[in-house]
Amino acid sequence: MAIALDRHNYDAIARAEATRRKGGWIVLGVALLVSLVWLAPFYYLIVSAFKSSTEYAAGHPLALPQGLSPIVDNAIRVWTDAKLGWGLVNSALYGLVGASVAVFVAAMAAFGLTRLDFSGRTFWFMLIFSGTVFPFQMYLIPLFFTYQQIGLLNTRAGMILFYCAICVPFPVLVLRNFMAGLNREMDEAARMDGANDWRVFFSIVLPNAKGPMLALFLLQFTWIWNDLLFSTVLGNTPEIRSVMNALQVFQGAYTSAGPNIAMTGALMASIPTVLLFFILRRHFMAGLSVSA
Amino acid sequence: MSALSESDQKLLERIGTDRIAMRERKTRRRNFATALLFMAPALLLVCGMLLYPVLFNIWLSFTDWRKFKGLDTFVGFQNYKRLFGQIYFAEAAFNTMIWVVASLVVPVILGLGIAILLRGVRFENAFKNLIFLPRVLAPTAVGVIWFYVYAPTGLLNYLLSLVTGETVSVGWLYQANTVTPAIIATHVWQTVGIVMVLLLLGLSAVPRDPVEAAQMDGAKPWQTYFHVILPILTPTLVVVTIISVLAGFTAFDLLWVMGSTYPSQRTLSLVVFMYFEAFQKGGWAFGGAIAVVIGVLVLLVTWIQALLQARAERMVR
Repeated sequence: MAIALDRHNYDAIARAEATRRKGGWIVLGVALLVSLVWLAPFYYLIVSAFKSSTEYAAGHPLALPQGLSPIVDNAIRVWTDAKLGWGLVNSALYGLVGASVAVFVAAMAAFGLTRLDFSGRTFWFMLIFSGTVFPFQMYLIPLFFTYQQIGLLNTRAGMILFYCAICVPFPVLVLRNFMAGLNREMDEAARMDGANDWRVFFSIVLPNAKGPMLALFLLQFTWIWNDLLFSTVLGNTPEIRSVMNALQVFQGAYTSAGPNIAMTGALMASIPTVLLFFILRRHFMAGLSVSA
Repeated sequence: MSALSESDQKLLERIGTDRIAMRERKTRRRNFATALLFMAPALLLVCGMLLYPVLFNIWLSFTDWRKFKGLDTFVGFQNYKRLFGQIYFAEAAFNTMIWVVASLVVPVILGLGIAILLRGVRFENAFKNLIFLPRVLAPTAVGVIWFYVYAPTGLLNYLLSLVTGETVSVGWLYQANTVTPAIIATHVWQTVGIVMVLLLLGLSAVPRDPVEAAQMDGAKPWQTYFHVILPILTPTLVVVTIISVLAGFTAFDLLWVMGSTYPSQRTLSLVVFMYFEAFQKGGWAFGGAIAVVIGVLVLLVTWIQALLQARAERMVR
């Protein structure tokens, strides 16, 4: 009886294995087809960026470029006509300053919320976290008006100030959860040795939170780099614009300049964050899992 | 305290509970002052740059503010009345609903399908990375690429010409009945990857035993998926749903870039409608009212999320 049952199971397993292997080729084929569809726009982007305007107009969209040199002319046109150079510099500045200040400020707040005992901590946390509840559209008109009143409209300081603020609440949520899980005996030991709260924050909690802080920095940097909406509203002059805003304005105003040039712009605006993603993939994925 | 005997009172005094409680209160107060110092920058930034604008926005939506006049004239619900009587608003709201539903249903079905399809396939990781790749690009750059994919002489029409054998030159982004589906398709191309990754995270948490038990009992693959895997996946699905719905409500970049040539761009969604009315027509109070409507919708979704999540967590336990 027992032997018969065993044989039966082996048969079932073998049969399942066989059907899976037979189905494997079909599945692989479907997967290849899906990836082909997924890749087509990337292929289109790359080949278009390497074509001159006349070459683009003459051939079909999927044709391979005849040479590699037209991309230089395209890039120069994007650089001068779209002032994408300013955009790249501005976005790098906004992203670096905005994301690092925001993550540091968030770490301070999370320290106050988790490593010091006082009543009403939930209230103060909710107050900060409520910054993520409202849709961006509710900030736009008041910020535009207030910025105009106090002279921050179309200035780099105004842009950085806003990016710092918008990037604070989410890291506070993540770092609060993280710091609450850190061992508090370390703090007590340091305090015994005469360290004050600032010392505990800088020498004990901050070094321990390096990992999540880096992941959060990357996440917020990418967010700022990709932002179009707030640059359109708060900093819409050629010298102040973010890179995505410059790209959008260029695409809207120079539709006649040809797809090849606009696509070159899209490629140039994307390269920094794409490179960052592939170099620091592990940290991005860490950020992704905390954001989910 | 009066219920205590005299000796007990004396004992308490010797231990000094009052003093301990007082010291405790004192450290708590001192702690609060320190914590407030640590939280001050975050509080200032959030209150000044985010919460104050929200309150200001609610207030200005009840004024007659347009073209920098009338911020001091209170008109009650007039902006809202005008809003709900407008055909553009109805159209924009309708398109937003399509966005919300489509940007939820399509990526989840596709993401789940691809996640299941790729399970155990050769080169599984390469395929997954490929599907995730569009997510790395900025929505603005994606919009520029797909703007030309949909152009009359673009990639899509070229492929259709190859299939049909005759010249196809549809202006996908210029026609009312194709512009929204076209932009949603782009959005799906970009978001399926992240939905898939989240679902795979959920799937990897599915324990082997119940699945194998079901297979041993002779359950067909689809039965296993529906009765064993799907219930365990529910919490992940709730999270994905909320992320997708909120993204659908507030999608702006793609619509702004790809819809730039569409004649009635303002009706593409509530978000675009709000931007158009406020920043291009100067109807600040009117735009503020639209922003409040969007805010109420988003808060409603967030509230439902909290309810669903609590329920999903209870289900798992």
